[in-house]
Amino acid sequence: MGDGNQKAAVSAVEGEALIAVPTRSLLERRLVIVTGKGGTGKTSVAAALALGAAGTGRRVLAIEVGPDEEIPSLLQPGAGPVGYAGRAIRPGLEVMRIEPFEALTEYLGLQFGVRALVDRVVGNASFKQLLNAAPGWRELITLGKIWHLCQLESAPGRPRFDFIVVDAPATGHGVSFLEAPRVVVSAVRAGPLHKQTERVEQMIEDADHTLVLPVALAEELPTRETAQLVKRVHLEMGIAVDRVVVNAVMAPPFPDAPDGLDESLARLDPRLRFDSIPSPETLAACARYLLARHRLHLHYAAEIERTTGLPIMSLPHLAQGVGGPAELEQLSRVLLDGGASAESARTGSP
Amino acid sequence: MNADEFTQAVLTRREIVVCVGCGGVGKTTVAASLALEAARRGRRALVLTIDPAQRLADTLGAAALGNQPEELPRDRLTALGVPEQGAMYAVMLDMKRTFDDLVERFAESPAARDRVLANPIYQHVSDALAGSVEYSAMEKVFELHDSGRYDLIVVDTPPSQHALDFLEAPARLLDFLDSRLVALLIHPAFAAGRFGFRLFQRSTQRVLKLLEQITGLGFLEDISEFLLAFEAMSEGFRERARRVRELILGPASAFVLVTGSGSESVRQAGRFLERLEQHSVPLAGALVNRIRLWPPQTALPSDAPPAPADIAQLAAALRHSEGETYPAEAAAQAAVDGATRYAALVRRDMQSTASLRDRLEGQGLYWGRIPEFESDVHSLENLGHIADWISGRSDHSEHRAG
Repeated sequence: MGDGNQKAAVSAVEGEALIAVPTRSLLERRLVIVTGKGGTGKTSVAAALALGAAGTGRRVLAIEVGPDEEIPSLLQPGAGPVGYAGRAIRPGLEVMRIEPFEALTEYLGLQFGVRALVDRVVGNASFKQLLNAAPGWRELITLGKIWHLCQLESAPGRPRFDFIVVDAPATGHGVSFLEAPRVVVSAVRAGPLHKQTERVEQMIEDADHTLVLPVALAEELPTRETAQLVKRVHLEMGIAVDRVVVNAVMAPPFPDAPDGLDESLARLDPRLRFDSIPSPETLAACARYLLARHRLHLHYAAEIERTTGLPIMSLPHLAQGVGGPAELEQLSRVLLDGGASAESARTGSP
Repeated sequence: MNADEFTQAVLTRREIVVCVGCGGVGKTTVAASLALEAARRGRRALVLTIDPAQRLADTLGAAALGNQPEELPRDRLTALGVPEQGAMYAVMLDMKRTFDDLVERFAESPAARDRVLANPIYQHVSDALAGSVEYSAMEKVFELHDSGRYDLIVVDTPPSQHALDFLEAPARLLDFLDSRLVALLIHPAFAAGRFGFRLFQRSTQRVLKLLEQITGLGFLEDISEFLLAFEAMSEGFRERARRVRELILGPASAFVLVTGSGSESVRQAGRFLERLEQHSVPLAGALVNRIRLWPPQTALPSDAPPAPADIAQLAAALRHSEGETYPAEAAAQAAVDGATRYAALVRRDMQSTASLRDRLEGQGLYWGRIPEFESDVHSLENLGHIADWISGRSDHSEHRAG
């Protein structure tokens, strides 16, 4: 690892400038698929991106694909479920959850036109059993629905949504999610399904249309998974990935204090007691923890950059967590405009 | 239930412990620590991991993490307090090999086996698509349990959005094998490419016709051929799937929910809990991993700002110990800020986990905490520290009141 990487990661954390910002804005593609291991804050990033995009006047759709809805209540605390039909949570910002069975019903309806017939098929017990056991179709039908949503127009030549962001399944499933069309194209060698799946595959592989945005934490396991994801998705499958979002990076904890604060505190007489502040031992332990986490984050942020060969965008660790629109706004400023990130990147401090 | 009772109940009285939870919460590390703790209690314990972090894999003997269990070095275990009769093994799931082994076991002839292994549908089902890892993990657990070589198997389940995929997968397969559609697809006339639709109920015929319209006949023929080859062994497979489920949900098993301390992962843990309840899963308790705890034997400071006089006194003490040129005021202020910040993290973790704790304790289930360590946890010694926490040998004073 070169010194350059270390310095770059430091400056990103300090918020002076985002390092090696990819030349294209995240909003240049129609479709951004946010992916990453569970617990990385992938959903928050997807929601922040949707919120930021809507703030630019784009008509935005945020899509969840998991079994649970998280984005509506993040965007608007107390918001009820939006379901498959979707709903505008804010002006210009719709959220929906793609439920594979509903998407399949809709697809079959479009294929055959006769709704009653489709209902009978989908209601058929054997068919349900087949679907319950068969792997892969959920991913495929979900991507098919996303393809369809990308084609929708509000007027001829005018897309219904300018920007679609998908909160993809966690990495392991995230890759098989993106691989589904390829597998199906090779397994189903002819017929409408083959042709339609090819179209979905083309959309995913169109670098001007679709971007996969990996979200990682600056920790060991997410670092390794991200490297594997980028290798598979970007290098092997040829899907556009142009940066990695490194989430919850802790800012330098003591920018104004002398180096080795934890050690200085540990050298104090341990019997010292104060009324309103903890003992020297406890102060030293707190300082040690914050310094160690910060160092760990720097190390792995640089490691992510090195192993993926991609620029990283660091999002600040927010002490209060990401609970609603206020925090999403902070994150979206960093995501969409590196220059404005100085303030938000510092908010790790209380 | 306290930590020791929990550990006793889970690690010494069961044969299988299933660690469930969302991805990214350190489930693999906790699973490995549970196995180590069981070994310390004199059992031959095996941890089955799905996708360990590289350094954890190194710790567990990465080279050996093939599809066959490997024993961890005796001297290292002895140093960690594992007695003579205890042992620890690790194995990493190789999904494809597990599937292939299964085919091998139940195929009625080498020719039938080769037919299945070469079928394009089988190849996709067994390695490319989501869900397969769950099938094979449960199969591996069963195989290892059946071998009788281990007193306890700790299972690290695949990170899954669909909480209990791994549990439902064998049942789904079973349902499917029982279905009329399969009966139809494996009908020889159909397999040969000649439609036997007339023989079957109209609703099922309709489904097949529609499927064929969408996928083309070739695909259905591949499926048919696959199922035909598979049918010969499906009796063994069916029996197997039933026994896997019985074993996992039976009295020999306990489930441990592993969660992180952030609000997102606690929310997900709550939903996990609901699904476990729906399935009447034998949950023993939850372990909150990487929670920030206040140092022992001291009180969590209040929200009130510290008195300037105390900060000045701290600065004076620092100057006294570090020398006159030391920027003591800035250091004292930073130290106090650091403590306030860390206390805020501790409070946040307490708040985000409070409802989950109440819910578990309300049901008489164990609730344990494992602190976040300063660095990543990967060495065997660090697994030992986690095991100390799980078993209650290490503990912080309670900080519930905040």
